[in-house]
Amino acid sequence: MDVDKNESVNGVELTEAENELYDRQIRLWGLESQKRLRTAKILVAGLGGIGAEVTKNIILSGVHSVKLLDENIVTEEDFCAQFLAPRAAIGKNRAEASIERARSLNPMVEISADIESLSTKEADYFANFDVVVVIGASNSELLRVNNICREKQVKFFAGDVWGMFGYCFADLQEHSFVEDVAKHKVISKPNEKVKTELVTASIQRTLNFPSFGAVVDFDINSPAYQKKLKRTGPALILLRVLQEFREAFNRDPCYKTRDADISELKRIRNEITSASSLSDEYFENVFAQVSPAAAVVGGVLAQEIIKVVSKKEAPHCNVFLFDPDTCCGFVETIGLN
Amino acid sequence: MAAALNGVFPSTLQENVQKSKILVVGAGGIGCEILKNLVLSGFPDIEIIDLDTIDLSNLNRQFLFHREHVGKSKAQVARESALQFNPDVNIKAYHDSILSTDYGVSFFKKFDIVLNALDNRAARNHVNRMCLHAEVPLIESGTAGYNGQVELIKKGLTQCYECTPKAKQKTFPGCTIRNTPSEPIHCIVWAKHLFNQLFGESVEDEDISPDMADPEANTVDAEEKGESEDKEVAKTIPETETGNVARVNTRQWAKDSSYDAATLFNKFFFDDINYLLSMANLWKERKAPTPLKWDNVLLKQDNGEGVTAEGLKDTTKHYHKVWSLAECATVFADCLKKLSASFLKLDDGESLVWDKDDQPAMDFVAACANIRAYIFEIGRKSRFEVKSMAGNIIPAIATTNAITAGVVVLQTFKVLQGQLDKCKSVYMRLRQNPRQQLLVPEKFLTAPNPNCIVCSSEPAVHIRIDTKRMRIKDFRDEVLIKTLNMVNPDVVEPNKGIVVISSEEGETECNEEKLMSEMGIVDGVVLKCDDFFQNYELEVIVIHFDAERDEALFEVASDSSQIKQKGSEPAVKESNGKQPTKSTEEDDSADGPSTSKKSRATEVVEDDDDDLCLIEDDEDGNAEEKVVAATDKLSVSSPVKESPPPLQGGGKRKPSETIDDDITEIKDSDDEEDDGPTQIKRMRTDISNVSSNEVINID
Repeated sequence: MDVDKNESVNGVELTEAENELYDRQIRLWGLESQKRLRTAKILVAGLGGIGAEVTKNIILSGVHSVKLLDENIVTEEDFCAQFLAPRAAIGKNRAEASIERARSLNPMVEISADIESLSTKEADYFANFDVVVVIGASNSELLRVNNICREKQVKFFAGDVWGMFGYCFADLQEHSFVEDVAKHKVISKPNEKVKTELVTASIQRTLNFPSFGAVVDFDINSPAYQKKLKRTGPALILLRVLQEFREAFNRDPCYKTRDADISELKRIRNEITSASSLSDEYFENVFAQVSPAAAVVGGVLAQEIIKVVSKKEAPHCNVFLFDPDTCCGFVETIGLN
Repeated sequence: MAAALNGVFPSTLQENVQKSKILVVGAGGIGCEILKNLVLSGFPDIEIIDLDTIDLSNLNRQFLFHREHVGKSKAQVARESALQFNPDVNIKAYHDSILSTDYGVSFFKKFDIVLNALDNRAARNHVNRMCLHAEVPLIESGTAGYNGQVELIKKGLTQCYECTPKAKQKTFPGCTIRNTPSEPIHCIVWAKHLFNQLFGESVEDEDISPDMADPEANTVDAEEKGESEDKEVAKTIPETETGNVARVNTRQWAKDSSYDAATLFNKFFFDDINYLLSMANLWKERKAPTPLKWDNVLLKQDNGEGVTAEGLKDTTKHYHKVWSLAECATVFADCLKKLSASFLKLDDGESLVWDKDDQPAMDFVAACANIRAYIFEIGRKSRFEVKSMAGNIIPAIATTNAITAGVVVLQTFKVLQGQLDKCKSVYMRLRQNPRQQLLVPEKFLTAPNPNCIVCSSEPAVHIRIDTKRMRIKDFRDEVLIKTLNMVNPDVVEPNKGIVVISSEEGETECNEEKLMSEMGIVDGVVLKCDDFFQNYELEVIVIHFDAERDEALFEVASDSSQIKQKGSEPAVKESNGKQPTKSTEEDDSADGPSTSKKSRATEVVEDDDDDLCLIEDDEDGNAEEKVVAATDKLSVSSPVKESPPPLQGGGKRKPSETIDDDITEIKDSDDEEDDGPTQIKRMRTDISNVSSNEVINID
């Protein structure tokens, strides 16, 4: 079944240079995906460690353009995971400081920086992009941008890394995609020994996503979820504690005030749920952004962007959580029945 | 620099990181990502080794390299780029092979932990043995497409890299390549051989001419009705001792013919095919090939499009469409011109090296393979697809490498803190498993296999060998070095105390050409094999068998029961022995060992990493047969199912997860391919790439 033929990106064949540079990935996701990637305009808001990872991965994949939006300056803490900003850029704007290295990753991708605050950006701004990724924002800001994206039909992602822990969230609204499904087909004649072959069939599917509000409103204390916790581990609880910390202090836990912040985190945990559902050890590794964790979460987030842009393969619906203790990365579907 | 900022890490981890010394083996896709994570985390003392140089096709994921670095040493450039992220760390880069004897046990002992970021089995096996010997924890990792895997290897605690036999690699008998191709890959292998015969390192067992010694062509039946005919043909075409059609020397003949496209074409695609047709027995149950004449081909516009040089300049068409026969012929002639021009510029004795990234070399193989496929009515392939198969390309993307390398370094933190029990193997998948996991940790560490041919206390292996046909030299090169990954083996027959093979140069040269049986190495003999460098001793228990046509001269099994189970189904196929146009398994090494220099075989890796392309290839039915052939094979040997028991019960995973085992063979897709002139890798279906909810038992 040849799905989406009419939607295919006709007339924009890849150049020889693109064919060569992207050879190894075209062999994975196909020409059509690569052509779709080439048209995608992405906004990455929040250029910390995970922002740098996402930016790197999507630039390498060959999207059309990436805008880096960040009002913050480069600090020492960034050098734990933010490899796009050079050491010398300390004190300078993080988005601008990241441009040069970002460009050198793939000269075929347009990169630009915006040093204004995310909060100053109105609906029309976001409508310029196919995908918007927001990192390091408060819940209210995430809700605001998410709502704009819904209105403008822009694919919305959020994500964060605290220390070795991280998550990402997707609101793709209504998303249609093609999925290759492998099946065994009998090819032997009736009187022969049964022989089968693997064949792939492309299937078109559509998913509907809830908004970020579903995550904010989710009741982590509901009996059904508490029961599930044993199986999945407490990553979602940890996410909630860290979000609450950010809401309460307008910052994330800081290594400079490590002990005091761990006490605060414990207090918040005890306030919102039972102490037993999230052990104290989890608070040991939530400071700065630790590079390998940013790589894992940023890798997953970027892969989701690639899937969405290329309309190929099922996206994860809708929260991905990475538990550094077990190295388990799992998907929670929140807000959908 | 996380470890340099007090309070980012818990204090013990901070201290452990700050006093650690790490070795990273490989600076490809995973290696670059690992190196970035290490320097940003503040590991102060890192060494990285890679013998490869940077290629354009690396740049979509090996992000420490940019366009201006193409052609430079991966290890060196990776070091320079990583130092920009953190100038406060020490990185020592080696542009070298880890298999070099410069890196002995004392080298490995310097490190607190070794991180493998390799792309080939031979180097992985070697580092595995060195780390076991040096008792240094090793974190092994690999990716292929969307799939990735990370596992800790610690002597005595976990299984080693070689505890589970890896899937055998698909090979093709010489007579299939030369006489009776039935799949596109056979034509591609043949086309690469043709390249080498004309321009490459001339290799005797890469003959492309009809193989008269094909046993199938010389049955009793053939005598009845074919003999006189055969003799008649034989009169016109002189025969060599080995039964090959003597071309005196293909290379010289082509040169004498001034590389005239029509002359060469008619020889390879008309005369030789006619000769094959004369071996009537071959075509009794096969579709006979149709000889093609140059003059007719140029007229044949089988897809109705005109052939112009302009047309082929269209990149998409050139790369992704299947060429018409006339286009193939045009490309054939064009490449012949270009390649012969480059070849004639070389000094005497020098030759071209086939490289999938060299335009005329790749075009030549794509054209010749497709012409031959046309002749044998095998489905033809686009240049893009031929390149995958001819160049052993495994798809590779930045995200999978980033995720995998992230897990590697998080596991490194755990090893440094002594939390080995937390380092369970982790698998990455495109689609979540039924428990909604995308990064799937094992429940338990997997205990060593007590019968492992490497890490058990007294390693022993049963090998079925046709001792009447295998020579000592081949036993050393094919069995001990290429299959069992020894570097420099010594072999003693203990009963008689004979030194069969010595690692000292020249000491046992007189034995090399002898058959094993002539040395008294027959059924039941136990050989003591030893690799001093790897500190690896292995008993080889010889089981004699008489190999059939199309059957390998040897087969390795980890215990005798396995041999019985397998029956006569060989996993590694080789041709009949007379003219060893054999296809043995390949080691797709880019970082890998120098074994490829010794190997003259047509090597074809059947690697479970590549199936995605394979599945996509299926347009014409031929590739599909291949899939079945491959899956059949899986059901025959499927060594992955014979995994050792887990440390604690419950290691049996649900069907949807058992596929994870297959990933043990996964390699870093980066530069998986070795572009060596004799090597080809073939793809095999891997059920692990199939949607987890659609896994169907292949048996």
